[in-house]
Amino acid sequence: MAEVGVLCRKELKDLSRSRAIAMLLVFLSAVILLSVLVAAADYRVKLAEYTAYADALKAAGGSPTPPPNLFPLQMLRAGIEYLEIVGGLFAVILGYGLVAKEKGSNTLQLLFTRPLGRHAFAGGKILATVIVWLVVVVALFAVIALAVLLAGRAQLGGQDFLRLAIAAAHTWVYFIMWSLLALTLASLTRQPASGLVLALVLWLVIVLVIPQIGDTMDPDNQIPGGFFASLQIDRTNEKALLTHFASYETGRDFVEQTSATKQYERAVFAYLGVKSQYNQMPLGAVWDATSHNSLWLLGTSVFTVAAAFLSTTRETLLRKLP
Amino acid sequence: MTDMAIQITGLVKQYGEKTALEQLTLSVPRGEIFGLLGHNGAGKTTAVNILTTLLPPSSGTASVAGRDIQTQPAEVRRVIGYLPENVQFYDNLTLHENLMFFAQLSGVQHPAARIRVVLDIVDFPGHERERMGTFSKGMRQRAGIAQAILHEPEVLFLDEPTSGLDPQGVATLRNIIIRLNRELGVTVFMNTHLLGEVTRTCTSIGILSAGELIYQDSIAATMNSFPGQDSLEEIYLSIAAGTPS
Repeated sequence: MAEVGVLCRKELKDLSRSRAIAMLLVFLSAVILLSVLVAAADYRVKLAEYTAYADALKAAGGSPTPPPNLFPLQMLRAGIEYLEIVGGLFAVILGYGLVAKEKGSNTLQLLFTRPLGRHAFAGGKILATVIVWLVVVVALFAVIALAVLLAGRAQLGGQDFLRLAIAAAHTWVYFIMWSLLALTLASLTRQPASGLVLALVLWLVIVLVIPQIGDTMDPDNQIPGGFFASLQIDRTNEKALLTHFASYETGRDFVEQTSATKQYERAVFAYLGVKSQYNQMPLGAVWDATSHNSLWLLGTSVFTVAAAFLSTTRETLLRKLP
Repeated sequence: MTDMAIQITGLVKQYGEKTALEQLTLSVPRGEIFGLLGHNGAGKTTAVNILTTLLPPSSGTASVAGRDIQTQPAEVRRVIGYLPENVQFYDNLTLHENLMFFAQLSGVQHPAARIRVVLDIVDFPGHERERMGTFSKGMRQRAGIAQAILHEPEVLFLDEPTSGLDPQGVATLRNIIIRLNRELGVTVFMNTHLLGEVTRTCTSIGILSAGELIYQDSIAATMNSFPGQDSLEEIYLSIAAGTPS
């Protein structure tokens, strides 16, 4: 167990000094921050429009209608999409580097001529991955919360911070999944670059291709602005109409659910209220509606932890040396 | 305690159809600096990888410092030091951090004190706080020797230790290896192509060809046994010419 701690500390020190990793994380933070700032500007415009309308109406002696539903956490939609796409890609690169560097620099031979336990190497790498993403995700969400508070001039309550924390936890699990998948593939291939290519193909399929197929199959996406909206069909009637296409919708949903990215997105969008049907819904109700998404994401991550644990043994790594 | 640092009997290593080692039988007494010579692909690195427990043999037996590599691999790892060819270390860490890492993994009791001792042995003071990414090849090799002797091994395996070094670096490393052997009693087993260095450094040699040991003797006996040959290079070529490469 002490060896796991030694290996983990070395990895964290190494990662914390890696210029490449620092640049990737700064880039990720910058694009997320930018997306929040753009959304915050849009939020402020909507607020100003409403205030101006309310002031004008009051001045004319009328009473304004209730304010539009402006939910500050909805500003995070683009930011979350960046996390699932760009963040997932960075997680793949980080996980690949954890094994590729050891293989490329012949340090594996140094490590495995020491009296290490069978799973010490795997334990150190996995623990380091878990810790590094915990630190990064906490930092990213702190930046996000500050941006929403300061740039969006939003009032966030305890519930909102709890929703942000739940979104952060999902993001943490999601990043761990991608890093450990790449680590596993880099361990199982003689040339780690082949493992990286495989991981990138999986990233492409899971992050981009499957969600795109699901979106394309969605009848509401067939016309810009929404198929049902263009026919002036409201939500209730839309649902009633879709019951006639239940098999098709189940199939489409199944395709989407094979993507861990979609599971992550559905759960996080629900907790943040990005999807209107979950907005202002109590957390318990959101959990009831999306627990399967969270559990599938968690299950996939647990699977990658197990795969990383079993694939980074001394025997496998030495057999697959370049 | 056995007198043999390394004892190999009928060792075979096959990669699919290809035989890398063919019935290798070899003994290296304690206190030797043994040089394993051979063409590229002769099986030298395979032999070292098996003795350092990095590779399992296909058949045969071998022991290092009296520990069987197959039945006591963890024990073997406690008594060996190893420096592979072209090792890079962790470039973002300092020399001290790299050595501390390997010392802790090896279970060294007082790692900080031991690091000072080994850096003194390899004559490498004043670089502890420098990141290893800035080190030259010669500095890396000295650091490599330092990490290999942190846990006071009985047998030190070196794979092409002077490969790619300038003459000054070669001479420095040679002096360190001889000092480790003479002053600390470490048995050294090294693969090398530099036959001039073998003459100056090693006390005995073995020559591998196509996975088979075709010659083994002390350096002194070898030089006396081939009176018409002036250098180890000529002797090596004449021995190797007698067998298929």
